[in-house]
Parts: sequence; structure tokens; C-alpha cells
Amino acid sequence: MRLEKCWFCSSTVYPGHGIQFVRNDAKIFRFCRSKCHKNFKMKRNPRKVKWTKAYRRVHGKDMTQDSTFEFERKRNRPERYDRNLADNVLKAIPKIDKIRVSREERHHKNRMKENEAKGQREAKKELEQSISLVKAPSALQQDPSLTLPKTIVKVSQQKSEENPLMEE
Amino acid sequence: MAATFASRCSRVGRSLFGGLSNSSPGLFTKSHEMTCGNYFSQQQRTFIQMRTVLKVVDNSGAKQVMCIQALKGKKGARLGDTIVASVKEAHPNGKVKKGKVVYAVVVRAAMQKGRCDGSQVRFDDNAVVLVDKQGQPIGTRVFGPVPHELRKKKHVKILTLAGHIA
Repeated sequence: MRLEKCWFCSSTVYPGHGIQFVRNDAKIFRFCRSKCHKNFKMKRNPRKVKWTKAYRRVHGKDMTQDSTFEFERKRNRPERYDRNLADNVLKAIPKIDKIRVSREERHHKNRMKENEAKGQREAKKELEQSISLVKAPSALQQDPSLTLPKTIVKVSQQKSEENPLMEE
Repeated sequence: MAATFASRCSRVGRSLFGGLSNSSPGLFTKSHEMTCGNYFSQQQRTFIQMRTVLKVVDNSGAKQVMCIQALKGKKGARLGDTIVASVKEAHPNGKVKKGKVVYAVVVRAAMQKGRCDGSQVRFDDNAVVLVDKQGQPIGTRVFGPVPHELRKKKHVKILTLAGHIA
């Protein structure tokens, strides 16, 4: 029994699932479900189809090189059954999974890092420009505490001043 | 498992309908789909039945063959079955000539076949290897991939001649 990878979306094909298509040049394409099979028949390139792993790897959304991927390489040489070895492997699999997941999360966090600063810059700009939609300009002039200071202050201070205004 | 069984039932039901309808409306729908411009190139692949034209992938001399009868199987022949066929097109100097009635083994079928591990296999085209009445291949070479379903059907000779076993 072997767990294959779907040619289109790169998910695992478990036994009893999917279709295997053999082309006349003897290349075998395995698909996990008819969605992938139909996309293949439509001659779509998986590198351009957004929900596939191939797209995500090519566009840097998921990590491409990691030592944990070495464990899942396809090996064609059968191993002689050794009870200790099998036991160790079964124990190691969840550990490796945990490490791989944590590394993927770190990669994702690194990718999303700039969004936080970007969001704050946009919020500040919106407050400066569109506060008139919320409070009349005459009210702002009468009560100077309601406006943002024009000078650029440190990030921590800015957050505390922005929050009460945003709650309004 | 129940879901795959139900889907297989519906597939068989659809293919039954496709098999019952004669070849001419089937051809029409195929060409209509192609003129639609790959909008839905979902062809319902069915059994190999009377008047199915198949490619010959050995060096027996025949090039194309038309199925006359599928031995075994009410609806038609599938991957690994034997058929009786008439040679429609042949190489000028070959062991078989045009118009000869021969037996053939289906080595590639566009209709998917279930394997014992639950998966399905499907090839790109319908292809046969010509055999004699005893089941021994007439030619000496086989081109393209062949499935290992042939081993169960006792066509070991074809497997040994094959280049790739799918």
C-alpha cells in the first residue's frame, strides 16, 4: 500500500480514492478526486490554479525547502521489516509533523509581518482625512484634545491615542 | 466506501445508457462537444462493443480493427477482455490482411476499470493486441503501456512483450 500524491493539487491519495490516468507515453497521473481530474482534462496548469499546492509553492505562499520534506521522499527500495525500526518510525511521525506545522506557521507569520504596520499606517491616514465624517470640524477646533497631534510620535504612544478616537 | 459504490453505480447506469444508444448519436454528441470549444470535454467513456474501432499496438500487420463481438460481458468488453474483431486497415505486408476476422485482447481502454485496491485506472485510447484462438499473441512486439490486469487473465506472454506495465 502506498500513499500517493495527487498530480494536480498535491494532496495525498489514500487507497480506494481517486483515478489513475495512464497516458500513452506510460506517464501515470494520479488524482485525488474528480475535481482535480476534470481540471486536468481541461488542460489547466496547476501552477496557475490558485488552490493547488504547486501554485502556493511557486508564488512563495508556502515554504518550499525544508529538512522535514526529506522524510517524505519517495523511496523505491523496500525495507526489511524490523520491529524496532517500525516502532521508532511510528513514534517519530507525529513529532516530525509537529515540527513541520510549526515551521509552516512561522513562514506564514513572516509573510504577514508587514500587514500590521501597513494597517496602522492606513488607519492613521484615515483618521486624519475622514474624521470629519464622524465629528464636525468646528467641534474638533473647540476641543483640541479630540484631534491627533500633528507630530509623529512613537508607535506605543500613537496606539493609545488612536484607540479612544477609534472607539468613538 | 458506500459513496464510491454509489458513484460507480451511477457511472455504470450512465454508461449503460450510452451503450444502449447506437453509435451515431454518440458520435454526434462527441463532435458537438468538440465544436463547443473544450467547454465541457467530459466524454462518458463506455464499453467496447460492436462497431468500436480500436487501435492495434503490435506488429502483427493490422493497424485498425473493428469489434464484432465482445466475448463475455452483456454490455461490452472492458480492459483485459477478449473480443472478436475484423481488420479494417492493415500494413501492406503483414501477417494479417484487411477483412480478416481475428481475436484480440483489449490492452488499453478509455473506460476506467476498478482495481482490487479500490483505485480506478484509465488509459488514453482503446487499443488491442491480436491473438490466436489459444490466446497467444500473433505479433512479436507490443507498443505502449499495458495494465497488469492481463496477468490475472493469463495473458502473460503479452506482458513479457510489453515495454511498460502500468
